[in-house]
Amino acid sequence: MPFRERSAWIMSAALFLGGLFYFRAVLSAWSESGELVSPGISPILAYTGVLVVLAVVGHIVAAALAPKDADAPVDERERQIFNRAGHYSSYVIAAGIVMSLGLYVLSSSGDLLFYTVFASLLVGQIVEYLFQILFYRASV
Amino acid sequence: MARKPPITNCVRELREQHGAMTQAELGDAIGVTRQTVIAIEQNRYSPSLESAFRIARLFGVGLEDVFSWGE
Repeated sequence: MPFRERSAWIMSAALFLGGLFYFRAVLSAWSESGELVSPGISPILAYTGVLVVLAVVGHIVAAALAPKDADAPVDERERQIFNRAGHYSSYVIAAGIVMSLGLYVLSSSGDLLFYTVFASLLVGQIVEYLFQILFYRASV
Repeated sequence: MARKPPITNCVRELREQHGAMTQAELGDAIGVTRQTVIAIEQNRYSPSLESAFRIARLFGVGLEDVFSWGE
């Protein structure tokens, strides 16, 4: 498996686990208080910490397994893969943002807007990595 | 996306004729990864014009001796 495909697996898993960690905390606080809690800085910092640790550790292991591959610059095929994956994931982000805005119009909740936009960005980024994996396997 | 490009090539044969050059060596020589060389040899990826010329020049042959329209 190419290093950058491995990197895409690591990042999608790290984002998924980080997102799971964050939104479990949000949902738990919601069920405890009975209403949607305002976004705080501590869960975001915890999410960032989880993401950074998983990404750094994952990449250290992946680079140790294939140091030459990890050191090689991105080539023309990989650039195409990244561009296409970014292109398709942008539709996912845009759809999520539009839905978030629609929800805001209906609910007038700035807190809900924050969470749905955050989730859209998170899902969009995961989808981008999944498209990278797909295109690595199918080539371009 | 998964559609095979209509361009075929004989990169593998040329590589084997040139002292059994490895895919990694060819990749290093033309500035792409080994995975891209594999994708080119399996006709899953059509290289850029620049890489195609680099491959042809490396083996000392013309572009059409390496690549051909596969239909």
